[in-house]
Amino acid sequence: MAIYVLRKLAFFLGAVFVASLAIFLLIRAAGGNVAAIVLGKDATAEAINALAHTYGLDRPLPIQYFDWLLNMLHGDLGQSFRTKELVADLVTDRLSISIPLALAGLILGLIIAIPVGTIAARNIGRPSGAFLALVSQIGIAVPVFWAGILLSVLFGVRLGWLPTGGWIDWSESWVGAIRSLVLPVLSLGLIMAAVLIRYVRSAVLDVMNQDYVRTARAVGMTRTQALLNVGLRNAALPIVTIVGLQIAELIGGTVIIEMVFSLPGLSRMILANVAAREVIVVQSTVMLIIVFVIFVNFAVDLLYGILDPRIRNAA
Amino acid sequence: MTIAATATIAPKRRRRLDLNASLVVGLVLTLGFLAVAVVSFVWLPSNPNIPVIKNRMLPPFLPDHWLGTDGLGRDIIAQLMVGARTSILVGAGGASIALFLGTITGLVAAAYGKLADETISRGADIMLSIPGMVTALVLAATMGSGALTTILALSAFFTPSFTRVIRAAAMSVLQEDFITSARLYGRGKLFILARHVIPNIGGVMIVQFTLYFAAGILTEAGLSYLGVGVTRPSISWGMMLNEAQQTVGISSPLAIWPGLAIVFVVLGLNLLGDGLRDVLDPKLKQRRA
Repeated sequence: MAIYVLRKLAFFLGAVFVASLAIFLLIRAAGGNVAAIVLGKDATAEAINALAHTYGLDRPLPIQYFDWLLNMLHGDLGQSFRTKELVADLVTDRLSISIPLALAGLILGLIIAIPVGTIAARNIGRPSGAFLALVSQIGIAVPVFWAGILLSVLFGVRLGWLPTGGWIDWSESWVGAIRSLVLPVLSLGLIMAAVLIRYVRSAVLDVMNQDYVRTARAVGMTRTQALLNVGLRNAALPIVTIVGLQIAELIGGTVIIEMVFSLPGLSRMILANVAAREVIVVQSTVMLIIVFVIFVNFAVDLLYGILDPRIRNAA
Repeated sequence: MTIAATATIAPKRRRRLDLNASLVVGLVLTLGFLAVAVVSFVWLPSNPNIPVIKNRMLPPFLPDHWLGTDGLGRDIIAQLMVGARTSILVGAGGASIALFLGTITGLVAAAYGKLADETISRGADIMLSIPGMVTALVLAATMGSGALTTILALSAFFTPSFTRVIRAAAMSVLQEDFITSARLYGRGKLFILARHVIPNIGGVMIVQFTLYFAAGILTEAGLSYLGVGVTRPSISWGMMLNEAQQTVGISSPLAIWPGLAIVFVVLGLNLLGDGLRDVLDPKLKQRRA
């Protein structure tokens, strides 16, 4: 087990390192003279040099990179050039929108996908199973932002039940905040469900062919009993892995959905700062998101190893 | 060996039926999509980029404008037709580059020893764990948006998946007896890969390409919707949805057509990919089931 954990930990650290290097190069190599862009056209050369000097932008890139990495490790994510706001504060402000949105979307997706996927697997070869598989195929083809647009036309414009967009902060009104999140969560959850149904279905199908399910049937359980009592528990392992892999997908969906419903979450903050060439803000925020995703995958791997001895012993 | 592997829960007859339906529907939708793009080069109802103010916001089902016009009087059909070109260019472009790079890396990982395999496989794992959408946003913002940036972003995200799938397929071919006999006959590694491995993983490659063609179209639409994908005079279905939402409000029928186009095309390619997988590689189907 210790070797398994160490291997996974090494992979986690390696992935974080490679990702940080990629982000840094991507943003810095294409960013141009950051100080000049931040100050605008009318800035004097002295002012540009002064700003560059203050933020250490005139140092060689490798030194800037390691400096940034070390500061991040100490919890210092840097600050905005213009507003001087700390990146940590900027991010935490937005998380009160992005985290509930992503989390509720994922949970809704699972609540739909686990029973539907199981039923689809149970009824394979029958019209109802084929129908569920088709629904999931269509759902996968629907872009998440189009789902958002359609839902907001239906429930926002036509029925007038919920806001079509915008945000009422938690501090202002709990109910308002939840109301502004309902449609975004619904859009995200439905699309996540469509993707997850496929995985749940194949996980359950795999399990249904195993000897222990046959044994359960042989001792007198019905197909459904065997599936629920023995099958689903074993199918849980691959499903956990898939959820880990889908985290990146979930974050992509959250980014787009925040734009559809004009929610001032993380993605709008990133886009605005990309436009303003706030390199430090963008670099650190994107890095935070990526570390989070890699960490979730790391945690899922560990969990998988704990739940299934075959995995950790094979490693 | 294959007999045991293909014995599934479903009666065999039924599966054949499903598989053919998936293949046929997918093929019809995909061919229709390709045909629209081809026709758009020789015939368009009107110029999709020139505003005609007197024709603003015409409703659908008029003789001159079958699906009406947008907030600037541009014909919807014409825009959808040109949008199909973008979907093909970006979706197939991204998937092609990923297929090319993924084949090379996958084959090297499968055939050139443990060190190469570990390096490439771990590298692919790392790349797979980076959320594509966020990185694409940054890439588009720093490199400027446009079809080329989008293609590059897509191929970067897709390549590791191709690497994994092609590596796995190549490894299973490399264990076959005819590879051993080719090796005993004195054939070199490159010859074996080109002559024996690639033809045997062709089905996997085609299926993977089709599925990622679809994924590329979805991602492109998303990026263009966010305003960091393709820009006019190129036209993208995602961009049309963005414009519909911004200029005329989401309640107009303008927000329907491009979305439907995306769904049909992506559904078609996914069905085609699944159908092809069943026909070309029954073993693979069993693994993914």
